[in-house]
Amino acid sequence: MLKRIPRYSFYREKLSVSFSHNIKYFYGVLFLLVFFIPFFISNLYVIHTITLVMLYIILALGLNIIPGFTGLLDLGYVGFYAIGAYTAATLTYHLGEVVGPLSIFTNFWIIMPLAALNGAFWGILLGVPTLRLTGDYFAIVTFGFASLVELIIINEMWLTRGPMGIVMEHKPTLNLAFLYPITHHFYSEPLKFAFKGDIPFFYIIFFVVIITVIVMNRLENSRLGRAWFAIREDEIAAECSGINIMKYKVIAFAISASFGGIAGSIFAFWFKFASPESFKFWESILILCMVVLGGMGSIPGVILGTTVLVSLTEVIRVFLEPWPILVQSRFLVFGAILIIMMRFKPAGLIPLSRVKREMSSRDKSIIGAMDGSFYDITSGEKKLNSDR
Amino acid sequence: MKKLLSFRFLILISILAISAALFAAGCEKKMEPGPEEVTEDLGPIKIGFAGPMSGDAAAYGEIIRNGIMMKIEEINEAGGINGRMMELVVGDELCDPKEAATIAQKFASDEEILAVVGHVCSSATLAALPYYKDAGLPAVSPTATNVDVCKKSEWMFRDVYRDDFQGEFMAKYAKEVLGLTTVGIFHENNDYAIGLMEAFKKGAEEIGLEVVGVESYVKDTVDFTPQLTKFKHLAPDGIFIAGYYQQGGLILNQAKKLGLITQFMGADGLNNPKLIEIAGEDASSGFIASSPFVYEAAGGEALKFKKNFEKKYNGMTPDWMAANGYDAVGIIAKAIEECGADRAKIRDCLAGMNTADKGYKGITGVTFFDENGDCLKPAYVTIIKGGEFVAAEKQMF
Amino acid sequence: MVFDQLISNFKLGIDYALEQLINGINIGGIYALIAVGYTMVYGIIELINFAHGEIYMLGAYLAFTFYVMLKLPFPVAVLLSIFSCMLLGIFLEFIAYRPLRNAPRLAALITAIGASLFLQNLALIIWGGIPKSFPELTLPDYFQSPIITIYGSASISLLQYNIFFITVFLMLGLHLLITRTKIGTAMRACAQDKTTASLMGINVNRVITFTFAVGSSLGAVAGILAGLYYNIIKHTIGYVAGVKAFAAAVLGGIGNVPGAMLGGFVLGIAETFGAGYISSPYRDGIAYAVMILVIVFRPSGILGRKQSVKV
Repeated sequence: MLKRIPRYSFYREKLSVSFSHNIKYFYGVLFLLVFFIPFFISNLYVIHTITLVMLYIILALGLNIIPGFTGLLDLGYVGFYAIGAYTAATLTYHLGEVVGPLSIFTNFWIIMPLAALNGAFWGILLGVPTLRLTGDYFAIVTFGFASLVELIIINEMWLTRGPMGIVMEHKPTLNLAFLYPITHHFYSEPLKFAFKGDIPFFYIIFFVVIITVIVMNRLENSRLGRAWFAIREDEIAAECSGINIMKYKVIAFAISASFGGIAGSIFAFWFKFASPESFKFWESILILCMVVLGGMGSIPGVILGTTVLVSLTEVIRVFLEPWPILVQSRFLVFGAILIIMMRFKPAGLIPLSRVKREMSSRDKSIIGAMDGSFYDITSGEKKLNSDR
Repeated sequence: MKKLLSFRFLILISILAISAALFAAGCEKKMEPGPEEVTEDLGPIKIGFAGPMSGDAAAYGEIIRNGIMMKIEEINEAGGINGRMMELVVGDELCDPKEAATIAQKFASDEEILAVVGHVCSSATLAALPYYKDAGLPAVSPTATNVDVCKKSEWMFRDVYRDDFQGEFMAKYAKEVLGLTTVGIFHENNDYAIGLMEAFKKGAEEIGLEVVGVESYVKDTVDFTPQLTKFKHLAPDGIFIAGYYQQGGLILNQAKKLGLITQFMGADGLNNPKLIEIAGEDASSGFIASSPFVYEAAGGEALKFKKNFEKKYNGMTPDWMAANGYDAVGIIAKAIEECGADRAKIRDCLAGMNTADKGYKGITGVTFFDENGDCLKPAYVTIIKGGEFVAAEKQMF
Repeated sequence: MVFDQLISNFKLGIDYALEQLINGINIGGIYALIAVGYTMVYGIIELINFAHGEIYMLGAYLAFTFYVMLKLPFPVAVLLSIFSCMLLGIFLEFIAYRPLRNAPRLAALITAIGASLFLQNLALIIWGGIPKSFPELTLPDYFQSPIITIYGSASISLLQYNIFFITVFLMLGLHLLITRTKIGTAMRACAQDKTTASLMGINVNRVITFTFAVGSSLGAVAGILAGLYYNIIKHTIGYVAGVKAFAAAVLGGIGNVPGAMLGGFVLGIAETFGAGYISSPYRDGIAYAVMILVIVFRPSGILGRKQSVKV
């Protein structure tokens, strides 16, 4: 008879499998470091930058699912980011003055999951007809999608106020008034926090990042994750093994899109201004750059890649301030990084450990190709031949 | 395993390096919200200028900045304000609402900036408004003409007229002075142009000027041929362009290439020498634009300013925007001098300039503000002749 | 609301339609010139050369530099610009794409995007953020614009006329190059199967270099023509034109040169008619929509053949 494992140790075991030994320390240290930052650093600009890094980490982790886990290239990720931000912006703009039951939709805590759902909805809508395409074509279609989203935002002025943008007047609030019966022993007033300034956002975004990392880790080591890696490595073999390719691809796309939506809605509330200028195609490329730099598929890699790139952006912005032209063209550096990374270290700074773990009998640096063959990055030879 | 270890080391080092760089960068930036230092030496008075210094609208930013610098240098040469020198902090927002929001945040958190001249474009100004309101930073715009700009915030003022006035003015001028019966409208999709277009349309309807078509475009459009072709076949007597010089110039140029002959008109945004450069002298001659200010009509001080400007900036001719920028600084300086070097005090002082005798006498005339922060000034009409903007013969008041 | 606009626009008559057609053919020609560059490169190395749009942009900028800043005579400036872009295309291939010849497609695509980013911002640094234009009065006569009336009130300018003939001439030339010359046959052979072609004694690397050279030169010409026609050169024009030309190439069947030419004209006309009859702000959207629809419903394009996937 099977021994029943009590629930908590079941999850504890799962968590400890997901977070391998070394990684646990890495994350633990990082968590403590970041959590206490606002206590030690009073410079608002640095706080702002670190918050920005964390926001991009959420985005990059969301994007990471597609090229990292399923091996497709999503060039239109910024479309979901925009959808998330504009969900928040249009809801608060159009329902701004409304009182009564509808006003719940201007509440930050309600909008965030709504944005996630909206993102997932459009992800599924876009994914179902297009995910059966091969890599290049899929990339192009996602690119077209992001461009269309941008165009619609710019032109549908009745909805989004187009290029003029929407100013977010609503600040997120934390209304704990319902706890009054308990708290009135300690505080005479009901607990209501209005979030002013950067620091509350620092913690909100930090909190969301932690959840994202946990979710990504669990996904990586779940049945979904294994299906995705199978698809990435050899689609045809995966299909033959009984994996429903379309279903898993669409799920991946929807999850990725929903994270884009979440990040977008947070961005709208934090930056207080939604305009189509923030959601151009190049933003997608920037996020892709972060994923590529860090290592497609590897979560610590993506975190590192994002940190490096966003900090680099801000450092460039500050140090090159006397030459505004150079600040505007900072993307030049990112272009160069992409080219150099792909040439010399396509697996990224921290390559996917799973690949290394599972392919330990082969060479260490192999990444799966979209057309199903394996290549050795260093020598460029094919290791396993399968015709397209 | 060893490889992994040394690689991790690399990562650690890079993280530390980046954080160090960030710290250094952060220290360079003066964004600390500490208490104001009360020392004997108060240092320079800083005002910010937010405008487009690069990109499509860069010509506006450059010319206004030059006008502002002229006034600042004049003040500093005369000993500064109460002994303190004035300093200008420039923020480049490309006339883009998003960048404007960023620059506004930066200015707002920099405690040393006491007032802002800006922004230049209406959309950018509207985007920046909430930040100035939140932080309590007064701003005077030399050029933002959209109707809502001052209404939305008591910290926002301007020394230029409003689009509802300007649009109706141009419609009336078109019918009564130019004698047009039908007119078409080209407009960009932004706050400024849409507001202006609405005003023009309303004015046209009221006086019986027929609007045959309205075409809109977005910011980065370079190809206007399909829309111009449509206007060519609708053949209106005149076409009113609500937009900025970059697109206006292209419209004029491409219209000529298509053989579209009509009376083109525009408003303050198109009143810039760059328009002539982009359209070409041929295509732009005869173009009519409204302007808050013409040097010939304003007399003495204005012409002196124009001469000094041309001398200082290598023959660059100042336009009405430079003059307004020059006066905006003057207005702020007057407020600082009379009421004190403090953001709230400056704002109250500006609000107090509400009649002609309490107003500011500058080269653009007397500026005083109504309860919203708007100012009432007349409009002039200019025409392009011989490759430059000159006052039109027939003015209308 | 769209329908009222449509109907009122139809009332404008045949001459209006004719003029829009001419506009469409003009833009279409320019798109076609860029599109063949994309399609040739894709046919041979299966790479979407994102940086191709930037070559178009640089062609315009370089011609401007040689003509306005260095005061060279106009034909010299044009030739020099074409030559430089050709070299740039070859250089790009050598540095960025050749090392990744055997790498996964994802890597090559990302490199192409990186190259595009790099070149675009390089142009921003070199020439600044303020757009440039060709000074009109100094251009040679045949690029000025006297108007010729054709039918009713439809007229065409000399510039449009010239652009049309230049594009058609170049495309005929390209077609002859590919079908009648030895190197053209070599190109087609490599596009079909590189390994076998090399077994037949064709120097594949040289052919690829040649492809890039031809594609880049045509792109440069397109850039110069567009610079003359629209009278504006900015660092962002490469991106926009590149996307549309790519949509045109996909429409015609990617990898198929006559298809790219056809696709260019079709897209140009569709875009102009869309802008002229329905809605101008969405005109760019027409290119994107075309791209998506073609890829989803008929990936092989108008002239392409359906490719079966072998397991």
